[in-house]
Amino acid sequence: MELARSTIRVIILGAGKGGTALLELFTRSPDVEVVGMADRNPEAPGLRLAKYLGIPTTSDSLALIAEGRADLIVDVTGDPQLGAQLVQHKPHRAEILGGKTALLIWKLAQHEQDLRDQLIQAEKLASIGTLASGIAHEINNPLYTITGLSEHLVEETRPEVIRDYVQDIIKSGRRIADIVQDLNAYSRRSRGQEQCDVNLNHTLDEAVKMARRATVVDEIKVITQYSDVPPVRGNADELLQVFVNLVANAVQAMEGQGTLTLSTSSANGFVYTTIKDTGPGIPSNNLKQIFDPFFTTKEQGKGTGLGLHIVRDIVTQHGGRVTVDSTLGQGATFTVRLPALPD
Amino acid sequence: MPWGLHTKDTPGQGRILVVDDEDDVRKVLRLTLTKAGYEVVEADHGGKGIEVIGADDNALMVDVIICDIRMPKINGVEAIAFFQQQYPSVPIIVLTGYPDQKMATELLSRGVYDYLVKPADKDKLLECIAGAIARRLELKYDH
Repeated sequence: MELARSTIRVIILGAGKGGTALLELFTRSPDVEVVGMADRNPEAPGLRLAKYLGIPTTSDSLALIAEGRADLIVDVTGDPQLGAQLVQHKPHRAEILGGKTALLIWKLAQHEQDLRDQLIQAEKLASIGTLASGIAHEINNPLYTITGLSEHLVEETRPEVIRDYVQDIIKSGRRIADIVQDLNAYSRRSRGQEQCDVNLNHTLDEAVKMARRATVVDEIKVITQYSDVPPVRGNADELLQVFVNLVANAVQAMEGQGTLTLSTSSANGFVYTTIKDTGPGIPSNNLKQIFDPFFTTKEQGKGTGLGLHIVRDIVTQHGGRVTVDSTLGQGATFTVRLPALPD
Repeated sequence: MPWGLHTKDTPGQGRILVVDDEDDVRKVLRLTLTKAGYEVVEADHGGKGIEVIGADDNALMVDVIICDIRMPKINGVEAIAFFQQQYPSVPIIVLTGYPDQKMATELLSRGVYDYLVKPADKDKLLECIAGAIARRLELKYDH
C-alpha cells in the first residue's frame, strides 16, 4: 500500500499532441510529478509548455532517462528504434509505458481534455445567460434610438434633420455591432492547447466590461491598481473566462453598488492579480466549498455553481493558484497567482 | 400647457418628465412626445429628476414621469421610490432596456403605472401615456 500513497515520477518522451495532452493531465494530478520531457524537435509544443511549468526539457531522450529520476517512462514518440533503446538503457526500477498501451492512455487523456474543454465552454455559455439582461439592456438603448428615430424619419422631409437622424442611427448601429463583437469573442470555443502571451492588465479590463452586465444596477466604482507586470503564457480565452467569472461574482455580491478594486503585481517569477469587492463577504463555512463543483448560494438562474470550479481548474492548468480571503461584512478578495514569462 | 387645463377630452396635452441618462433616448422621447402635443421636461439621471420636479412649480405641473432604471448617481428604483412618496398622484411609466420580469413585477406591485421595455414602439408608448394622463386626472378629481 506504500506505493499507492507515494508520488509517481514520470518522464514523457514525445512532446507532440499526445505528449502535451499527457503533460496537461499529469500536471493536474496531485500524485504524479513530471520530472522531465524530451522530444527531438526542440520546438515541439509540449516542450514549450513544460518549460513554462518549470519542468526540465531536452532533445536527448536517452540522456534524460539515464538521470534515473523516473519511476515511469511514458513513450509516445511512436519510434520503434527508440523503444528498443529504452529497454536497454532504462534504470532498473523504472517501468516503460509504450506502444499501444501508451497510445491508449494518450487517447484517454485526450478524451479527458475534450470533456474539460466542453465543460469550460458550457459554463461560459451558461454565464452569458446570467449576463443576458445586462446585454439586452445595452442593446435595447441604441435599438430604441434606431427604431424611434426611424419612425420619425418616415414623416420627415427636411434634409438637415434627415441627415441628423441618420447619423444618430448609424452611431447606434455601430454601438450594437461592438457589443455583438465582444460577445462573439467571449463565447468563441477555445481549446486548452492554444497558447499565447497574455497581458493580465488588459484581460482584467476586458473582464470588467463583460462582467458589469451581471446586475441591473451599475453603480460600481472600479479602482485599478495595475503594475507593469510581465505577460503570462496561456490560453487568452480561458484566462478571460477566469476573470469574467471572478469580477461577475464580485459585481453580483455587491448587487451593483460598491467598490471593486483590481490590482496586479509581480514577484518571484509570478504575476499576482487580486479582485476585491465591498460585498457582504463569504461565511467561513462556505469558504471551504467555494471551489467545489455545483456549490452555489445564488438564486436559480444567477449562477451554475461551476464558475469558481472552472476558475480553479483553468488557473491550475496554467501552473497557478487561486485563493480567497473573506470576513463577513467586509467583502471578499480573490487572488490569482500565475507563473510569469521569464524576460 | 399647464396641467390644470387638461380634461379627459384633451389627452394629447400635458407635461411629462423624462428621466434617462442616454442623450439619444431622450432625443427620441422628446420628438415623439412633443409631436404628440406634450410638453417635455428632461433629466439625465435620477438625482436630476428629483431636482427638476422639485424646482419652481414643476411638481404641480408634471402629469406623468417616464423613468429609466439603470442610471448613474441615483438609479431609477431609488428615484421612483422618491417620486411615489413625494408626488403620489403623478403616474410613473418605467421605460427601460431591461427585460427583467422580477423587477417589472416588483415595480408594478409598488404602484408603477406601466413597465415598458425598449424599443417600445411609438403607438404603444403614446397609448400608455394617454392612459397615465387619464389616471392623473382621476387622481386629481378624487382630491
